[in-house]
Amino acid sequence: MTVLVLTGPEDVTADMVVDHLNTMGTPVLRVDPADFPERASLTAAFTSGGLSGRITTRHRSAELSAIRAIWVRRPGKPGAGARAQAAWVALESDHAWYGTLRALPDVRWMNHPDAHTAGRYKMRQLILAQSVGFRVPATLFTSVPGDAKGFAETHGPLVCKSVSGHAPDDPPLALPTTPVPEGTDFTAVAEAPTCLQSLVGKRSDIRLTVVGSEMFCARADQLARDQAELDWRYADPESVRWYAAPVPPDIRTKTEAFMRLAGLMYGAFDFAVTADETWHFLECNASGQFGFIELAAGLPISRAVADWLAGTADSP
Amino acid sequence: MQPFALTYARRPIPEPETSFAYDSEQQLNVLADGTPAVRHPKVLLEAGSTTSTAGSKTHFDD
Repeated sequence: MTVLVLTGPEDVTADMVVDHLNTMGTPVLRVDPADFPERASLTAAFTSGGLSGRITTRHRSAELSAIRAIWVRRPGKPGAGARAQAAWVALESDHAWYGTLRALPDVRWMNHPDAHTAGRYKMRQLILAQSVGFRVPATLFTSVPGDAKGFAETHGPLVCKSVSGHAPDDPPLALPTTPVPEGTDFTAVAEAPTCLQSLVGKRSDIRLTVVGSEMFCARADQLARDQAELDWRYADPESVRWYAAPVPPDIRTKTEAFMRLAGLMYGAFDFAVTADETWHFLECNASGQFGFIELAAGLPISRAVADWLAGTADSP
Repeated sequence: MQPFALTYARRPIPEPETSFAYDSEQQLNVLADGTPAVRHPKVLLEAGSTTSTAGSKTHFDD
């Protein structure tokens, strides 16, 4: 069997898993779809004998029939290097690449592209989260300034965050979750859809990483860092102290239900915990980073991912 | 007028400087002496290359 790892070369978090798979003696083919077709090749033949072929990189090759697990970690887009008719070549490359992989029988996906894509949409996440019983902050998407103002009056104080989870790149900017001051003028909401959410007066942040049926919970207390910085991703790393923490039984049950409904095998959940120990769902990222949590809190997440991909762990 | 959310935008956190490079034969990032970077957790932590904003230039911040 071969585990196919789809990610970029700079992804050292993927290295943590590949290293475990190597130690376990599980064959791995690591490839960035962005390298296809310039530096990685694919041949897929459909005949009366079924589907056969191979994927080849500079140093390795894997028969399609040997692929048993696919880890969609942080892949680039197929055909990204095309110069002539770039959009068309990218489309052709995407259909050849993912069309073939989707057609492989008996393959375990972490995560399947359909589940991953659907899981990116924030509003769907919030509705799923509420349906399984999580506490979810009131949230508004709007391009209507008056509606933003009314939401602030009803549900403030608020934070502002990206609708998509993606920051602008022309020029590149960071967009942390940020409190919206009282009395803010919302006129500019008309320029682009805006996500506003009730501020959760949190005492701690939780990063709950789910791998198949295993859960790894890390907690960081707000008191240990600058109170003005709401978003731990942008706080001084020295001030964010992650430590391993237990998962309350009711949170475990709700998380399992969310994963099942979302069709995910991997998810990185963010919760805000208030002083009364209520966990408020913020988001689930289907490709969330976990290396920093493993290193800081000593949680063996990469080993769990390797076990799942190799088929030595239980599926949920 | 710029979009409302960009009122709160900041300069991005620079992608980390790293002391390792990808070795396509090993399929791992390696240090200058050829050992896998993942065997050196301190190096990874100092580089910030496993953090939630690493790679956010091309992927979602998470």
